[in-house]
Amino acid sequence: MKYAFFPGCVSRGGCPELYPATKLICEKLGIELQEMPAASCTGAGVLQEKNELLGDTLNARTFAMAEALDLPILTICSTCQGVMSQANHRLKNLEYRAKVNAFLAEEGLEYNGNARPKHLLWVLVEDIGVDNIVELITRPLAGMRMAPFYGCYIVRPTDALEFEDNPERETALEKIIETIGATVVDFTGKTRCCGFPILTINERNSMTMVANHTSEAKDLGADAMITPCPLCHLNLDSFQPKAAAQAGRQIGLPILHMPQAIGLAMGLSPKEMGLQRHIVNTKPLITKIGAGV
Amino acid sequence: MDVTLNIKRFDPEAADPKPYWQEFTVPIEDNGTVLDALIKIREDNDGTFSLRCSCRSSICGSCAVRINGHAGLACKTQAATAIIDGKITVEPAGNMPVMKDLVVNFDGFWDKIMEVEPYLKPEGPEPEAEYIASNESMLHLSDVTSCIMCGSCVSDCTVLEVDPSFLGPAALAKAYRFTADPRDGNEKGVSKDRLEELTKPSGMWDCTRCMECVQACPKGVAPMDRIMAMRDQAMEAGFTNTNGARHTEAFSESVGHSGWLDELRLVPKSVGMTNVSALMGYAPIAIQALTHGKMPPIIHKKLPQSENIKKIFDKVEKPMERD
Amino acid sequence: MLEHDVLVIGAGLAGMRAAIAARAGGANTAIISKVHPVRSHSNAAQGGINAALTDRGDEWEDHAYDTVKGSDFLGDQDAIEVMCKAAGQALIDMEHFGVTFNRDDEGRLGTRAFGGQRRARTFFVGDFTGQALLHVMFEQLIKSGVRRYEEWFVSSLIIEEGRVCGVMALEIRTGQVYAIRAKTVIFCTGGFGRVFEPSTNALICTGDGTALAYNAGAELMDMEMIQYHPTTLAGSGVLISEAARGEGAHLLDKDGNRFMEKYAPNMMELASRDVVSRAEQTEINNGNGVDGCVLLDCRHLGETLIMEKLSQIREIGIDLVGHDMIKEPIPIRPGMHYAMGGIRTDVDGQTNLEGVYAAGECACVSVHGGNRLGANSLLDTIVFGERSGNHAAASKDSEYVNFNVDKAVRDEEKRLQELLDRPQNGDRIASVRLAMGESMNRNLAVYRNEEGMKATLSELKEIAKRYETVPVDNKGKLFNTDLIFALELGFMLDCATPIAMSALDRKDSRGAQARTDYPDRDDENWMKHLVIKKGEAGPELSYAPVSITQWTPEERKY
Repeated sequence: MKYAFFPGCVSRGGCPELYPATKLICEKLGIELQEMPAASCTGAGVLQEKNELLGDTLNARTFAMAEALDLPILTICSTCQGVMSQANHRLKNLEYRAKVNAFLAEEGLEYNGNARPKHLLWVLVEDIGVDNIVELITRPLAGMRMAPFYGCYIVRPTDALEFEDNPERETALEKIIETIGATVVDFTGKTRCCGFPILTINERNSMTMVANHTSEAKDLGADAMITPCPLCHLNLDSFQPKAAAQAGRQIGLPILHMPQAIGLAMGLSPKEMGLQRHIVNTKPLITKIGAGV
Repeated sequence: MDVTLNIKRFDPEAADPKPYWQEFTVPIEDNGTVLDALIKIREDNDGTFSLRCSCRSSICGSCAVRINGHAGLACKTQAATAIIDGKITVEPAGNMPVMKDLVVNFDGFWDKIMEVEPYLKPEGPEPEAEYIASNESMLHLSDVTSCIMCGSCVSDCTVLEVDPSFLGPAALAKAYRFTADPRDGNEKGVSKDRLEELTKPSGMWDCTRCMECVQACPKGVAPMDRIMAMRDQAMEAGFTNTNGARHTEAFSESVGHSGWLDELRLVPKSVGMTNVSALMGYAPIAIQALTHGKMPPIIHKKLPQSENIKKIFDKVEKPMERD
Repeated sequence: MLEHDVLVIGAGLAGMRAAIAARAGGANTAIISKVHPVRSHSNAAQGGINAALTDRGDEWEDHAYDTVKGSDFLGDQDAIEVMCKAAGQALIDMEHFGVTFNRDDEGRLGTRAFGGQRRARTFFVGDFTGQALLHVMFEQLIKSGVRRYEEWFVSSLIIEEGRVCGVMALEIRTGQVYAIRAKTVIFCTGGFGRVFEPSTNALICTGDGTALAYNAGAELMDMEMIQYHPTTLAGSGVLISEAARGEGAHLLDKDGNRFMEKYAPNMMELASRDVVSRAEQTEINNGNGVDGCVLLDCRHLGETLIMEKLSQIREIGIDLVGHDMIKEPIPIRPGMHYAMGGIRTDVDGQTNLEGVYAAGECACVSVHGGNRLGANSLLDTIVFGERSGNHAAASKDSEYVNFNVDKAVRDEEKRLQELLDRPQNGDRIASVRLAMGESMNRNLAVYRNEEGMKATLSELKEIAKRYETVPVDNKGKLFNTDLIFALELGFMLDCATPIAMSALDRKDSRGAQARTDYPDRDDENWMKHLVIKKGEAGPELSYAPVSITQWTPEERKY
């Protein structure tokens, strides 16, 4: 299976462990990734604040590039996915799409409405199928309790994300957790906000969100939290110590990128998965899995 | 068909008032709504069961409750599609104190609405006949005036959950209804006073863009989208001395210039490059990031063909400025 | 001591407009409502508001004639003149308040066609004009500083020596009973749709004010005139706006024919509502319907128009009956919708009780006579709400009528406690209401006859007896909605009998009253209003003349 790969900005910046982990598990899964080096940032919802048309144009450009490659797009960030899905939803309108295409014409690009950007999470559950993934699990994370944290942009709004036609998307992350042999820890925070968008605007609230969700999962017995969004990962991991300090309690819940958790269960090493980069210590987790160091 | 509802109830006059769950099974029409079932419970089974409802057709906004964990109007939700594992879970709306059963206290909700001065404030002289306004502007506003004040957005807002001082999606959407009204504010329809107020803490910049309000709203108001539009209005009107405005500007500049996000510089630019105390506040995390190999590259390389991206920025933004 | 010069009861469009006007007139004004103002049923008005704007070449006299004809010549022409003359200004006032009316290509207020009007003069906001007006009116109410008693239920009217002294009210949140002194009260309590089952009306439309006024000695007028709206959903009775027909939708029988050709060849689907409802009912009765309904077809209007102007009713069709009007016709049928009759008032909202006013649907001025034209109700509420408020404001210079407040509170508390203390073995509130509603819908609907109406009158007597023993499950104080329902049921029953009695008494067919035993309009004997008043031995009927100024009654054809 071949996809036009859209890694997003953070997996090459603040969460550089995500990019190589993704590539490694894709190799094992037989997913071929075709890079689109000229594809721009999706805008992450921030650019759209300033100018929605501009954001949609940049995303249409990426869609057009993928169309030119005749490949479906694969994303590894909930935010990229959500922003692309929302843009694509608006671009269904032919008049609007024509307006956007006028801006792309000079570069020789045209978007014809055929892109279906999919997050790796959906690709695994829908295109590959969990039965095929189970076969590749050589080190099932038995006894591990994992709390799924989706990231707002991959669960809302459900119409742009096409949940009605693809109802399995609502519980896809839980399915992955089960597929890799772990137990799901259900908690109210799983589809809430990590607070990353307001980090520099209202740090207090942002940290409260981090503390609430990680504490809740930890108190319910989670060994780790797993998330398909590197922006969420940044807040939940890098800022967890700050959040814990503000909340006045210990948390210490390791946060895994989804590909890392899958990679570990496929027998890849923690070092290959980049776990040493995390701010919240992942060593106890690694020991529990029996993955050495 | 028979439907089973599991309802979170509360009796303030009980000897030991605590929320408790109670299950009811009632017969309704096959195309009946959750509200039909709730009304049946109070009519036939238990008259002590209290909820607010009136119009039955999604226009009065009384019956906003949480159905299977998500806020919405009971009268707009088909019972058949709401059954999970044999039952429909119904709870009072979130983020508002529960008075009795499904009835919540809206005082805080209305206080916030009042805070945004929710009535037209035209600055110039009133014309004798109607104000002249384009149908496009009125249709755009009608999307926002469709708000029936049901409270679904407020119920599920993730910021209100951690910070009750946040103005909230309903009040902010209501504010947008005026900032976007060509009749409100000065002769160009710019409502400067409003925008200035709303850029203050707990206002428009505190929204975390989680889209719960967009998902919850039964009338398609999409409060978050209105808040985003208001942020743009505020920046256009010159209210740029906020971390939020700086963040958006820096993000935009970065993408326009290089094609992708320069994370490293985004944080200091957001708080203000000369804001020494805030910058010092990030120092511990910066050091941790550095030692863990999570620091974004100091030299931020442009993407190949990034000049095409810059061209798009210029083309798309120029006409915006003219408007 | 809670006291006000003007106390407005009901916070829908009429109530809020009255309160704003009274306050502007310098009166100490308060408004009391059993639901939050924005939950009022004015919300559900969909189609639009009528006004003749002279700067468009429209004449208020044309609007007035359409209204007089629409009323089947039972409307009081002096009152209709007042309303139609005031319409233009009322419309502009609402626009200045901030309503986001639809616009034409020049940015001026836009219109749509509507039932019974020879010219498009209905101004609108999508298909949720009522909601748009209501919310803007609430914004203005906030601005005006009127004291608001939100979620307070008026349980009694206090009258001493024929003059109003105030009301007894229950603060729903706490269950506390209060006496509120007032020099004037303005009833703006809306209709009584829940007397019928089904009805387009909200659950709160229980005729509270109509009953309170009636029980205090106010005259009710034209109670037999009950509008059955042509397009309501089977089952729930929820309204599908006339706006659909205004935008060009067709009514079809089971074979896809536009049957209105037979009944109103000129105006077709936009004939007056009673004409259309009768046409539909006749077709249904003759076996040309589908499952007791006819079909409303909007497909030819196209997706763009439907999404721009009829989006709300499209949602209702999808949510409640699973039909998308863009793709398929919607099954509809006539359903109880509006009360043309109500508390009798003059053009300033005054009733026969000193200090008691009424405006809006609960009042009967009468501007709607035997049948109300669509989009005239929103106009009625604003014009007569304002007039009542203006007039009542003069009371700021008069004195309160004294009464023993403490005793009144104790008596009311005792009365309510007696309701709560009833044994649990009576018929449930809902089943008693349903019995009343079904009986009314059976025999006081589109087509009536003597036998049926007599049957309902006798059933109502039985039902009233059952009401005496309905138990109240909730014995608590806080938010006791069960108690409220018991009180509302009493009000509904008080309205039901005057409706049936008036309908039985009127031996002609006029406007919304269509009797199979008296199928013709009899101007010689029945060109008059039926007035009903509470007497010693029960309701007493009398008659009042119809005011005729410019337009001689003629045969009514569409």
